[in-house]
Amino acid sequence: MTERALGFLDDLRAAEVAGAEVLAAWIDVCTHDGLRGGLRTIRGRELAHAELLAERLRELGAPATAALSDEVRQAAVARFGSPAVADEEKLGLTLAQYPDDADGRRPIAGVLPELADDPETAEMLRLVAEGEAATVAWLRAYAAGLSRRGDGAHRPTGGRRAS
Amino acid sequence: MLQDGAPTTRPEREVVIGLLDAFQAAERAGAEAIARWIAACPDARLRGGLRVVRARDLQHAALAEARLRALGGVPGARISRELAGLCGVIAHPGISSRSKLAMLLARVPEHAPSPLATLLRRIEGDAETQAMLETIGDDEQATLEWLRATSDALEREGA
Repeated sequence: MTERALGFLDDLRAAEVAGAEVLAAWIDVCTHDGLRGGLRTIRGRELAHAELLAERLRELGAPATAALSDEVRQAAVARFGSPAVADEEKLGLTLAQYPDDADGRRPIAGVLPELADDPETAEMLRLVAEGEAATVAWLRAYAAGLSRRGDGAHRPTGGRRAS
Repeated sequence: MLQDGAPTTRPEREVVIGLLDAFQAAERAGAEAIARWIAACPDARLRGGLRVVRARDLQHAALAEARLRALGGVPGARISRELAGLCGVIAHPGISSRSKLAMLLARVPEHAPSPLATLLRRIEGDAETQAMLETIGDDEQATLEWLRATSDALEREGA
């Protein structure tokens, strides 16, 4: 595996750790029951991905040392953990990074060609990418439900599934 | 709409706790069986996917357990004899991966509602648990699709 691919695995691990931390802060102040429930699962996904990547890096003998800068991480935790920032705004901020559901998959798709000699890691990453896309799709469906109803109600058979 | 995200009446709460308890026990048993499948699996690609499936199952079990504790429950469910038998097959190092995949897929016909969807319909008045299970259902659906695609690929390759 190339150094770049190993670095990607470590960077992705660090991003998932930071994402889980930000989500925990959001969950603590989230005012919508349904959103809170979904965020719990999404945080669980991030933690699972981080653990898988750390385990794989250990097996490959590569260090897991990447970390987001304290400044960036603390700013995100402060913003998403603030009760003064509405859930709708937090959803908007998150979704602005992913104009399309498939955008969650793109960074991983970019590194897969470098993993031709490591099908185990490649398959892991493919499934992690699917999880990222599922997260974006659910958040988008929830945000659409909020803006349609304006009351925070969300049903399991919401827009994305009905379409 | 409930204010605290929890069912208001005791019977409703007991039903949700019971469903979550059964679910966490099943997910944990599945994760243990898959860990043993991974340990004996010679196919690197399959192993990679199974590792993610196992990690998801463990997370689902942890989420369900945390939620049932938040609702005042204590985990204690045991899995059914049928599920224990299936887990035994999945964990068995002498059974081929193709057979294991076929057994898992036979439990969920392609266009049938998932077991989790059935469970979701039984949870009323608890938006937090509903949304949590809905998103877990997305993971389960992704797992099923991957299992089908992998089974088809192994079939084509004659593995």
